[in-house]
Amino acid sequence: MAEACQIARKQDLPPPGGYKPIPFKRVPAKTYFSGYTLFAGYIGVTIGAIYLYNLTLKKVKKHEIEMRSAKMAIYPMLLAERDREYLKQLRRNRDAEAELMRDVPGWEVGTYYGERIYKLVPPDALVEPIFHEYYAHSSPTEWFKRAYIKLRS
Amino acid sequence: MVVTEDVDLPSCSELTVPEVNLSTATLMSAGPYFGKDCEAINNEFMLCRYELDDPRACVNLGKKVTSCTMKFFKKVKENCLEEFNQYVNCVDKSSGNFSFSKCRTTQTVFDGCMKDKLNMERPDFGYFTRPRVHCSPSPAPESPPCPCYQKFPDATPSLPDWKPRPPARFGSRFYWMTE
Repeated sequence: MAEACQIARKQDLPPPGGYKPIPFKRVPAKTYFSGYTLFAGYIGVTIGAIYLYNLTLKKVKKHEIEMRSAKMAIYPMLLAERDREYLKQLRRNRDAEAELMRDVPGWEVGTYYGERIYKLVPPDALVEPIFHEYYAHSSPTEWFKRAYIKLRS
Repeated sequence: MVVTEDVDLPSCSELTVPEVNLSTATLMSAGPYFGKDCEAINNEFMLCRYELDDPRACVNLGKKVTSCTMKFFKKVKENCLEEFNQYVNCVDKSSGNFSFSKCRTTQTVFDGCMKDKLNMERPDFGYFTRPRVHCSPSPAPESPPCPCYQKFPDATPSLPDWKPRPPARFGSRFYWMTE
């Protein structure tokens, strides 16, 4: 068996003339700018950007002032309308509470069985109810609409 | 609710007046004009509202504010309807927040019409954001009498000065020091 596998073998040797030299020398990237130029460029671009930013900022501020001015101009009219509707709604709420608690003995509207909620204010002072009380007699949909108005706009 | 029967709320008939039934775009685009036109009554209303801090006290002034606004819009409708509608359309559709900066052309047309027909000028830039002096005919409200709240004596008087104050018998009450 050993004689059957006898083949002529050739030893692996370097190519004639030897191997090429290994390129171990450092090849640095080409420098387009020096360090000082880079710093100067950075500062220059930043100054330019600040200038442009300020131009835009002035424009934005002017726009904001103009819009705020218009909103403040219409605010008294909106507030007047809102106040009327608010007072109407307070009356509706009070009537709804009187109707709801009609059969409860000892219940007085706006109090807890005759005990006032705010004892130090004069009896005819209007204390604005909190949001949940204001919407207590409305449908939950309306409550949700108002409470999460930000989600819808 | 905290509103009792003692609280005097105005009846619905007192509160029902013709309201300004207009869109936000319409109000915003006419805002500077009617803010200037109704400035006196607007200021009076806001003064009342902030001084008295009670919507009931200022209902009548509020009605005047609304009627002044209505009167202004009637004037605009008679004289500059076409120009105004064009401007409102632009303000409404050019941006999401009713910016005026997108509608300078139509604004100039509208301003020209207001100047010619109604002799009204657009208030200068940022007019309503600046403080303005308002001479109010109504007297200033009385300040609340002081002391405004009842005074109660201290329920637990502190240790008299002459009593000895020995150091705590079991050290500090902080739990990591005693345990």
